[in-house]
Amino acid sequence: MIVALLIVAPILIGLLLFFVPRSAEAAARSIAALVGFGACALAAFNYGVADESLVWLQRPFTATFHVGLNGPGFWLVLLLTLATGCASMAANVPRGRDFAAQMLVLQGAMTGVFVARDLMLFALFWDLMLLPVFMTLVAWAPPRVRAPGAPGRPPSTVQSPTAWRYLIYNLVGGLALLLATAAYGIVQGTTDVIGRDPNTLAPFSPVWAMWIFAGFAFAFLIKTPVWPLHTWMPDTYADLPAPMAAVVSAVQSKAGLYGFIVVGLPLLPRAMHTAAPLMIALGLIGLVYGAFSALVQDDTKRVVAYSSLSHLGLILIAIFSFDPLAIGGAVVYLVAHGLFSAGLFMTIGEVEAREETRLLSRLGGLGARNPRLAGGLTIVTLAALGLPGLCGFAGEILILTGLYHAGLVWETVVALVPIVIAAAYMLRVFQGIMQGPEVEDVPQREDMSPLEMLALAPLVVAIVLLGVTPGIVARSFASSPAAVAHDAPRGVLAQTRLK
Amino acid sequence: MTPQLVIPYTDADWRAVLPLLAVGASALLVLLADLVMPRKTRRGSAIVLGIAGLSLGGVLALRGWHHPVSAFGGAFVNGGFAIVFQEIVVVAAIFSLLMAYGLGREDQTGGGIALMLWSATGAMLMAGAANLLTIFLGLELLSLALYCLCGLASRPGARESALKYLILSSTATAFMLYGMALLFGATGSVSLAALSGPVASQALFTIGCGMFLIGLCFKLSLVPFHVWTPDVYEGAPLPVTAFMSVVTKAGTLAVLARFAYAALPNAQTHALLAPLWIVAAISMVVGNVAALAQNDIKRLLAYSGIAQLGYIVAALAGTTSLGLRYAIFYLGAYTFMNLGAFAVVALLSRDRDEGSHLSSFAGLGYRQPILAGAMTFFLLSLAGLPPTVGFTGKILILASTVDAGYAWLAGLLIIGTAISAYAYFKIVRAMYARTTGVAIVRAFHPASMLPWIGVTICAVATLVLGFYPFAPSDVLPLVR
Repeated sequence: MIVALLIVAPILIGLLLFFVPRSAEAAARSIAALVGFGACALAAFNYGVADESLVWLQRPFTATFHVGLNGPGFWLVLLLTLATGCASMAANVPRGRDFAAQMLVLQGAMTGVFVARDLMLFALFWDLMLLPVFMTLVAWAPPRVRAPGAPGRPPSTVQSPTAWRYLIYNLVGGLALLLATAAYGIVQGTTDVIGRDPNTLAPFSPVWAMWIFAGFAFAFLIKTPVWPLHTWMPDTYADLPAPMAAVVSAVQSKAGLYGFIVVGLPLLPRAMHTAAPLMIALGLIGLVYGAFSALVQDDTKRVVAYSSLSHLGLILIAIFSFDPLAIGGAVVYLVAHGLFSAGLFMTIGEVEAREETRLLSRLGGLGARNPRLAGGLTIVTLAALGLPGLCGFAGEILILTGLYHAGLVWETVVALVPIVIAAAYMLRVFQGIMQGPEVEDVPQREDMSPLEMLALAPLVVAIVLLGVTPGIVARSFASSPAAVAHDAPRGVLAQTRLK
Repeated sequence: MTPQLVIPYTDADWRAVLPLLAVGASALLVLLADLVMPRKTRRGSAIVLGIAGLSLGGVLALRGWHHPVSAFGGAFVNGGFAIVFQEIVVVAAIFSLLMAYGLGREDQTGGGIALMLWSATGAMLMAGAANLLTIFLGLELLSLALYCLCGLASRPGARESALKYLILSSTATAFMLYGMALLFGATGSVSLAALSGPVASQALFTIGCGMFLIGLCFKLSLVPFHVWTPDVYEGAPLPVTAFMSVVTKAGTLAVLARFAYAALPNAQTHALLAPLWIVAAISMVVGNVAALAQNDIKRLLAYSGIAQLGYIVAALAGTTSLGLRYAIFYLGAYTFMNLGAFAVVALLSRDRDEGSHLSSFAGLGYRQPILAGAMTFFLLSLAGLPPTVGFTGKILILASTVDAGYAWLAGLLIIGTAISAYAYFKIVRAMYARTTGVAIVRAFHPASMLPWIGVTICAVATLVLGFYPFAPSDVLPLVR
């Protein structure tokens, strides 16, 4: 019941929020934050709780409502609920009741992705988590200016096309996933396979495996996103209200990589090996391309968006190195990236709320009058650029060591370059906002309120905690069936155990 | 000794068609009530009587579930297969009647509802028809009533739509009848069972099958026999459009499935069906592409219906037993999600305006949140997104087509679905976007609240069937 509750309760509460008065924005926000933190606490104390399962289909293949809370999914659920709680708490968005409702539905749907232990259920939540984001883009994305208005008249605007771009990309991915799931169900006879010992599954033809993997991989690559399927992402992050951008970039983008770890590695290992060179190449291109793009963006949200492309490319490479150390590091970095990108979007959202812009060319010198905001941004920026002691470094060092260990020497060297550039673009963001001459034409506002600080605090604590004890997260992969299955054919690597 | 008049039909024969007789007789009662009831209660009594008759028919049909019978010398077979289709027809007709309060002028409503009931009777007859003549009888009963119904709307295009439907549909019927004649010539029997026997001329048989299938494709509005659909749907009154979008399809699909499964049992004859899968594939793509450009919900749903029927026929590809079950399941799913969407449109319609233009949805999410939520839910289901029956139904169809060895159809189905998302979500966006149009505020119309019942039932069914996909298990043995 507990795991199912983690999915159903936020969705139901979110839908019920539509029935409270529109003016009760503060109440709605508090409810959303409480549900987020409550789910986080409930999940944290129920690690490895018994799986829950109900029959869904018996023909043409077995499908179940099977959910479980363990392995890498557990940490992503913690990250998700924490990020949703923090982001909802300080959300400063017009029509706050509807927004809080969308956040809760999103939380429930994404929890489903990470606790599903059945591929069909996984596909269900995978598609479901599109909707709140699409609806939010439809109702909140700022209109695009088509032509500047004459003096005294407002500019002519059109509706932002971002919602369509997001929907079409992700829906195409979701449908590929659906087809792959149906095909997998037919050839395997069951879709109740996530987290199961793969040695108990009957093998099937490698041709089918290749096609099925292609469907899954397409969906995962779009969702992550990986170059060249990333073009929906910068617009989406820029147009979403900051709290939801925080959650989407922190957690939704992890669903694809999570899929490679829990679906690809254990269930389709051969196809994964076959596709590895392509995936590593895509990851490397994204890594470099994202870093250089981030360096030149004016919009701070887009800097973070392109930096995500870069960081997630690194995780993709780590997964396809098949080295347990690197994959353990990948899990750490999944969570780490979630923590600091949620923090980045939240602080940028607070900057935007104060200055009414997030363009680096129009910002500057904010730090002098907003020391607390500057402090918050410092910590998340440093985590993002990989300062030792914070979570970003922990993930990066594990991944790079693992890559080197797996014999991917050149790839490791190439991957180092963007990590250096990360320091450049992250510091550019920080300096552009906080330092330099104060820009006079923007109105001065107050520093962070206690509530806003309280909203950022859990993320900061988690960033430090994960930075000093990454092992606990990394081991969640090493002990999962995926690691066992993968190690079997390559005995050498099996000896590598995380200390 | 004088020759005695022998009536070859027994009570058992009549019992098999009792559900049909109940529905048909209720139409007579509706007409009678229209004469004797006071003016103000005519519309209401017609709807109540019609729903009562349909419900009685539905219950009577269910009684035969475990007792399959072959009535009238094999002309009408009532078993699980026929009953499922009859129930779908009954449910669809009831939902259409719920929207029928404003059908035609006040003095036309009773007659219109009677025609809908007779049309439903025809579809129920087709569901159990096991020989070519019964098929034709059901089809004509279904279609003739619809020709009149299409002209009932007061809008200018209604007559044109009715005439277009009459001419094109009659042409298709002629094709079908000619095909039947050729099939009779080839086999010497009108029984579907005889089609699997020896044939006198393979050429006659092939051409006959082809013409018969063309007629069916027209009724199912599969591409390239679909051009009538959007115009007729747009011109016909809303309840009639809703009725046509499911009842015609259910009746025809029953005939098609029986023909494909029972009449053509071997591989050689199965080859005759190959063009059908291609037609289904084209329908999935073309229907969805055409839906993209529509700004009228009725036209959009017409094109979406073309594509949805493509999905259903695709499920029959390979004529596997799984495929038939999931085709029926998806037809049931389509019934609920499609009629739910129509019921929402009905709730938006006011006296002279049917509320079917996209602009009447602008800002609905803020004016009528519950109605907008329901519409979103039905559109999600039509687009195959969770948590709806459309999602589950689609994955079942995908699985059965892959299983039957038609993976390319599954691939096209995915492509079609991806395209359709834009068409459906256009409505969602109109409902929730902040900047589109000015909210149209119309007078409240208390009499037209009946479709709320339809919206509620359809929404619950769309949700629940997604999680408890109920595909009747004892359908198939009764087909052959």
